[in-house]
Amino acid sequence: MNEPKGYVSFVLHAHLPFIHHPESEDYLEEQWLYEAISETYIPLLLNFQKLVEEKVDFRITMSMTPPLLNMLDNELLQKRYIKYLKKHIELAKKEIERTSDNNKINELSQYYLKRYTNDLHIFKDVYKCNLINGFKHFQDIGVLEIITCGATHGYFPILYVTEQTVKAQIAVGVQTYEKYFGKKPRGIWLPECGYVPEADKYLKEFGIEYAITESHGILYANPTPIYGTYSPIVSPIGITCFGRDMESSRQVWSSINGYPGDFNYREFYRDIGYDAPYDYIKPYIAHNGIRVHTGIKYHRITGKTGEKDVYNLQWAEDSAQMQAGHFMNSRIKQINEATKYMDKPPIILCPYDAELYGHWWYEGPYWLYILFKKIYFDQNDFKLITPGEYIDKFPEIQISTPCRSSWGANGYSEVWLNETNDYVHKHLHDAGEKMVELAHSFINEGNPLKIKVLNQCARELLLAQSSDWLFIITNGTMVDYAKKRIKDHIGRFNKLYEQIKSNNIDEEFLTSIEEKDCIFPEINFKVYF
Amino acid sequence: MPRKAKDEINEEKKVKKINSTKDSSAKSTSKKATSTKSSGTKSTSKKATSTKSSSSKSTSKKAHSTKNSNSKEVSSKTSVKRKTASRVSSKSNSVQNIKASILEYYDLPYRYNKTVVKLLAQTPNTLFVYWDISDEDKEKYIEQYGEFFFNDTKPVLVIHNNTKNYAFEVDINDFANSWYIHVLDSDCDYSVELGRRPINKYAKSPDFLQISSSNDIQSPNDHILFDGLNNNIYFRNVKTNITIKKDISLSFLSRIGKVYDIKDFYENMYKDEYIDFDRLDFKRLPSS
Repeated sequence: MNEPKGYVSFVLHAHLPFIHHPESEDYLEEQWLYEAISETYIPLLLNFQKLVEEKVDFRITMSMTPPLLNMLDNELLQKRYIKYLKKHIELAKKEIERTSDNNKINELSQYYLKRYTNDLHIFKDVYKCNLINGFKHFQDIGVLEIITCGATHGYFPILYVTEQTVKAQIAVGVQTYEKYFGKKPRGIWLPECGYVPEADKYLKEFGIEYAITESHGILYANPTPIYGTYSPIVSPIGITCFGRDMESSRQVWSSINGYPGDFNYREFYRDIGYDAPYDYIKPYIAHNGIRVHTGIKYHRITGKTGEKDVYNLQWAEDSAQMQAGHFMNSRIKQINEATKYMDKPPIILCPYDAELYGHWWYEGPYWLYILFKKIYFDQNDFKLITPGEYIDKFPEIQISTPCRSSWGANGYSEVWLNETNDYVHKHLHDAGEKMVELAHSFINEGNPLKIKVLNQCARELLLAQSSDWLFIITNGTMVDYAKKRIKDHIGRFNKLYEQIKSNNIDEEFLTSIEEKDCIFPEINFKVYF
Repeated sequence: MPRKAKDEINEEKKVKKINSTKDSSAKSTSKKATSTKSSGTKSTSKKATSTKSSSSKSTSKKAHSTKNSNSKEVSSKTSVKRKTASRVSSKSNSVQNIKASILEYYDLPYRYNKTVVKLLAQTPNTLFVYWDISDEDKEKYIEQYGEFFFNDTKPVLVIHNNTKNYAFEVDINDFANSWYIHVLDSDCDYSVELGRRPINKYAKSPDFLQISSSNDIQSPNDHILFDGLNNNIYFRNVKTNITIKKDISLSFLSRIGKVYDIKDFYENMYKDEYIDFDRLDFKRLPSS
């Protein structure tokens, strides 16, 4: 086969904050994981499998963040997911009765029953409750490149005021990856694509070859990258950075004419959690009786109207196929244009939140499947590639320092630092400094109990640093939960800090928070040294 | 980013759009960016609800803060131990593990009583600085310059642009502990000094007294550096580590350059998805 004119690289960023509440089942936030499993992770795995079975040569890259890996590996959450599925199966069965007078909707409720039943089968029987091995399998056979992320998605441009905390984010991110995938990660998704050159030396130290940045991380780099985002650049320290392609991002994301807004696609906001009679739906919504999404939705976007038609699976698939064709043709055009001015094949990097595919854009995983098939069978201009493979093929890279940037609104740090959440940073910085101090004063500690306290301090600090809490506060929804999480982790950290400093350790307290905040069981506080 | 949060935002917005559009603009005026987290109201006490098991000694936890101008409660809540209701299934009487769970309640400490000045870059043109002066240091100044030192002087921030070698000053006040600073030059190295200047000429203190200075921070770049290239372009083979120089013009960039307006890009792409910037009103900053 001829060498293609260019390459397209899909990078899906799979991340959820660590949410684990053994003490209660009432936290709605825990459902983010279950929804993501049913709507995104399982559909992606199933579509990868279909592609493999149909002998389609494809490539995709995914970052799976350490909190997500820890949750997917967590037995309690696995059990609760099964419970979630069983409840949904029960609800779907009731729905078949409830909708028996409407043919079209009834067909859909049967579809949901099938779908949730299949989820249960896939989760329990195929993957033995652990989806990580599912993703690992596709990495091992060479179609998926999994990369890592900061330990708890801490935002480097603000954390690096205490540099060792950024180092620890990277170190624990790499260690977690090695634990689950049995080798070192080649690449990293910088949390929120937050790039600062100061972190490069730590990325290098832990063996990271490449990072993903936002478009202007490359475009505004110094000196100017001559190929824009059509080629990576390498920082003076030696981290290769790939920038997001704006044109393809716009096609998928744009709120005006982005793909997910197609009128035939499933309407996210019409959910029986809100639409069904209250007494009927009550057992399936929030514990406190507040209506929430159930995931069972019967309507399509239809148009800019309040009146919504019934969802039609076939129509939705037709739309996905059309859009996949459009996406592919747009890339061919883009690559043919770019190659005119380049002396090597361009790469078009398309990074997205993984949860966009399936959860938010219900047909997204199917769209990817169709797109990958089309790319393989219907054209010869470009091929899919992973960033790692692109480096292997074209190792000669322009030297340039990427621009400090993020993929948050407006491209810098406003989302994680603004008047709604700026009060948080002094606590994160102070705890970070205390952690570094602890690592230095207890570096030779031999007492197992004290080591447990020190390791728990590290977990609490890392959990407090999740960029998710700051993001949620900025967005103004679920704020109470995010604020509580910051208070809890900072509070627990400070309490442990005082206990170890005064040599007055409350073991019962330690055990109780070790159970709740059980992320990174193998962590070693010395990463803060 | 938790997609869910985004979804809910959208949902909220949809509702908002139907109801009223004025809502957001009204909100934007209400909050000032100068976070004057006034010391008066906040309770500093860390209600560390420490939990005691039957046996244990009581740990009443002191709050971090030592200063207490506003009678801060240093309460240590009574320890509570709760048994999670062991669920007894209606059919069988099997009792699940009875697990002790510890009730916890935390407030963020109001301050850490350390002298710090920390500088962050919010955007290429906006820095954020927060600070505190420890009680110990405060007493030191009072000892040296008299008991009215903090009344006779006012706090100022001196912002240094270390790349272009200039500095300017921002008057702040003793009720604030953080500030947003507008800076003209992106892509420059900045640091900030926290200091005090006498309010009147009778004050015993020097004309400028430096209390503490911040970390250095580089403000991000915000444009394509067309001029910074000089045709000297270096490539490194990342496998062999051999560096070579190439002479390549910028013709590519200028041809493809039309898509390179980041602001335009963000405006189009995130019109509805992300944050309502009118609501947050980042542009209205108090200083400079």
